[in-house]
Amino acid sequence: MLIIGEKLSIMAKTVREAMMNKDKGPIQDIATTQQKAGAGMIDANIGPAEDGGESLMEWMVSTIQEVVHLPVCLDTTNYNAVEAGLKIHNNEWGRPMINSTSNDPERFPMLELAAKYNAKIIGLTVGKGGLPADAEERTAIAAEIMGRAMEYGVPLENLYLDPLVLQIATSQDHALKVIKAIKMFQELNDPAMKTVVGLSNVSNGCPKQLRPILNNYFFSLLMYEGLTAVIADPHEITTTVKTINVILGKTLYAHSYLEM
Amino acid sequence: MAFTPSKETYTGKVNSVTIGIDESTVTFGGEHVLPFHTFEGVVPHRPVIAYEIQDVPPDDWPENVQKPFETVSHDPVTWAKFCQDVLKAKIIALRLKGTHPDSKNRLPEDAAKTVKEVLSAINVPVIILGSNHTEKDASVLVAAAEAAKNKNCIIGKAQEANYKTIAAAAMANNHKLIAMSELDVNLCKQLNILITQLGFDREKLIIDPMCSALGYGLEYTYSVMERIRFAALMQNDLSMQAPMVGDIGLYVWKVKETQASETDIPQWGSIEERGITWEAVTAIALLFAGAELLIMRHPRAVDAVEKVIDEFVEG
Amino acid sequence: MALTGVEIFKLLPKTNCKKCGYPTCLAFAMKLAQGQVTIDSCPDIPEDIKQKLAETSAPPVKPIVFGVGDRAVKLGEETVLFRHEKKFVNPCVFALEIKDTLAESDIQRRIEEVLNSEIERVGQKLRIDGIALTNDSHDGGRFDAAAKIIAAKAPYVPVIFCTDNPVNAETAVKLFPDKRPIIYGANSENYESMANTAKTCKAILGVAVSSDFGRSSGGLDELATLTEKIKALGVTDIVIDSGAKKAKDILRDNTFIRRAAVKKNFKPLGYPVITFAQREDSLIEALITALGVAKYSSIIVLSSIEKWKNLALFTLRQNLYTDPQVPMQVKQNIYKIGEPTSDSPLFITTNFSLTYFIVSGEIENSKVPSYIAVMDCEGLSVLTAWAAGKFTAAKIAHFIKESGIENEVKHREIIIPGYVAILSGAIEEKLEGWKVTVGPREANGIPAFLRSRAA
Repeated sequence: MLIIGEKLSIMAKTVREAMMNKDKGPIQDIATTQQKAGAGMIDANIGPAEDGGESLMEWMVSTIQEVVHLPVCLDTTNYNAVEAGLKIHNNEWGRPMINSTSNDPERFPMLELAAKYNAKIIGLTVGKGGLPADAEERTAIAAEIMGRAMEYGVPLENLYLDPLVLQIATSQDHALKVIKAIKMFQELNDPAMKTVVGLSNVSNGCPKQLRPILNNYFFSLLMYEGLTAVIADPHEITTTVKTINVILGKTLYAHSYLEM
Repeated sequence: MAFTPSKETYTGKVNSVTIGIDESTVTFGGEHVLPFHTFEGVVPHRPVIAYEIQDVPPDDWPENVQKPFETVSHDPVTWAKFCQDVLKAKIIALRLKGTHPDSKNRLPEDAAKTVKEVLSAINVPVIILGSNHTEKDASVLVAAAEAAKNKNCIIGKAQEANYKTIAAAAMANNHKLIAMSELDVNLCKQLNILITQLGFDREKLIIDPMCSALGYGLEYTYSVMERIRFAALMQNDLSMQAPMVGDIGLYVWKVKETQASETDIPQWGSIEERGITWEAVTAIALLFAGAELLIMRHPRAVDAVEKVIDEFVEG
Repeated sequence: MALTGVEIFKLLPKTNCKKCGYPTCLAFAMKLAQGQVTIDSCPDIPEDIKQKLAETSAPPVKPIVFGVGDRAVKLGEETVLFRHEKKFVNPCVFALEIKDTLAESDIQRRIEEVLNSEIERVGQKLRIDGIALTNDSHDGGRFDAAAKIIAAKAPYVPVIFCTDNPVNAETAVKLFPDKRPIIYGANSENYESMANTAKTCKAILGVAVSSDFGRSSGGLDELATLTEKIKALGVTDIVIDSGAKKAKDILRDNTFIRRAAVKKNFKPLGYPVITFAQREDSLIEALITALGVAKYSSIIVLSSIEKWKNLALFTLRQNLYTDPQVPMQVKQNIYKIGEPTSDSPLFITTNFSLTYFIVSGEIENSKVPSYIAVMDCEGLSVLTAWAAGKFTAAKIAHFIKESGIENEVKHREIIIPGYVAILSGAIEEKLEGWKVTVGPREANGIPAFLRSRAA
């Protein structure tokens, strides 16, 4: 399971302030703790970043990679900011990931970047206008994104399909549809397609004490269906990753398996 | 080819709720099936319609719906008697509109006095509604509930921001209670749980998932109501088994289609017929979605809806 | 059971030739599994596999096109019983009854009413879709004469010919060659000749059994038998009528029919339903029609189409047939609440219709006349729209400049939703001369917010 640490997001106040003030301290602290907790990649969400997106992304990538030897997931709708991040990214620690392309023509150019820089890329299975109704529609969109990825010259092993997790508080029926989509995505290619989710969105809007519970149980079911990667808080899910891997026979059991 | 219709099996049922006292009680809800599905289960009571009146003259109602009440609406008591005696109202819904700070800002004790006067003038059960100002309602409805003590009324509406005081007052004075949430099935369930956690009997609750008029979000109310019924009947969700109310008139008689004159928009046809139809169609749609109690204004809209209900329950 | 996309893919040529309009065979297979394209779009599938796919991918309620050209309407294709599960697909069709016993001038007038029924509402053109000519006279000559008037005056309006006389049907329908009308009136006595007529005239066949009060399914049993017999004669474009007239019976029969089609994939009842809603009282007729709209009728025949009634019925149909997954959208515009003046406050929000309804409702409650600038964000709510890059400072600034609001208000203050407080600086930068005020996060804070400003 590739864990992409989600904590460096503009939605969080401390991170937003650090980004505005170009204050490296908090950013590097968060990156380091996420790595210690098991993150294999660090998400850098700078929002739509209409102004100064390029320099902000450059600054984020270099700030993060100064202290952690991990690849960065470049999370913004701003094309130029993504390219700026890709240029400066240190591939010695793994190839970067673009977050994200989708079936919306506005997002197609991201595939061009993925091909040019041999980056991984998340394919969010939504089109222009409107959310996908069910697992089948998500899968149909996934197949279109795959077709387009091939046109742009992005190898399918670099594509991570994301079924778009919705909030359980407002879209309860989609939780099961997302689980089903993870299963169906994999069948779209041989070797199986890779998959990713933005996990914590499932509990967005829920009371604080419920959020880790919802995230972890939902995550267990997704792991069972074969999820490849997850954008999440590494601290919160690491026990689940280890335990489900034991249950599914992917790691050998020992009394101290959690300490490993 | 032989055809056997497949009947749905339902695991839950809707609570039946009785309001009023002595000889003049009214009961609604209690069905074991989806609305009007008499062909596959028990529907013991027909949906009921309450006539809406208010404590201040209906100056803010469009002219065509003021007209049927023009000789009586200056005073809530005369108005209530007219609805009961002439229009044969089964329930009166008294909206304490005048207590709203932007209306007359009437005091809770004045509102309580109106409640007492109306109650002593009529026999049919009464729904007592606030002005939909959450802070003011918290004091007005407490006074109103006390004034109507033991008359087995419906008090409404308790919302997330004020449910504690209102539910306590309804409980202390033996009333039923409307719990209103805003077009969200999950928040609806949550509010019902919170209210029952106060010790309020869940069988005395009535759900208002928030009404919307035809053309102005009706489909949201429609689907939220259908989903609440699903939870009640298919999932046997005890917190969702209260009957539902549609506060029709309030939402219908403020939209453009019930107000714009034929001179302004000739392609919309007669303003009077249009307003009545707007109210009746909104009402019938919400009955199909699961409402058991409607609050309406225009007598012709009420009559038409009653006639269609007859077609569902008779024979 | 329908095949999954991957199962279909295995049957395709796998050439990725793109002739179907999709980048790969896999993408096409997925669309096919969804029912969003037809198998005919692939020129290279062998005929036998095509047949197999067509059978397995057929929707539970048969899709039928009624009429031709711009006024053609689609029927059927429904997949669910409740609109919150998935969108109701093809909005039901309204048709005005015209009796052949009417005087010519009355027939003319009623056709005129149909032709003039179009109204625009939230960007959609809505109208009475068709005409149902009924053979009340039982006379072939009168029926033919009335049909001629329709053919001359409204050649492109889809027509239902209601008669149980195959000869009368044939004479009338021949006036509408290749117009895909409906011949309504096949029953257990006349179905063979009616099916023949339908076949030769390429018409859709309406199948009816008499209403059967008392027993719960006698009528539907007979109906299912009849459609199978008609299908065996080679007619598959069928609409069905259980004969139900009373509200109770319409609900029961339509529910059983839709359930059989959707849940059991029972083909003999997997056809669009036609309901005759005519009543003496036009308002009652409107309510019976509302039942048909909500509960599974595909065609509803009306006896009168007053403007006020049409508006209500069109609106109901539009409401219930919106996609519950695609948030309904309000048109991008500056909306007035109350009668705002050049000093009135200006709010901005996204065009998710629920957001708009709630914000406008709260402003109404507060009794402070205001402007709401509603910006097109593909129907997303405020926070989601911001995160998706659709409700950003640059886009807001652009919208405000283009909207013309600068000519309406004297002030230069815009109130933004509390959730996007973060945007205030950037908007002020991009929207020169404007001051941004951060409003409440939730709409229910608006009345208090406006009151505190007034104080």
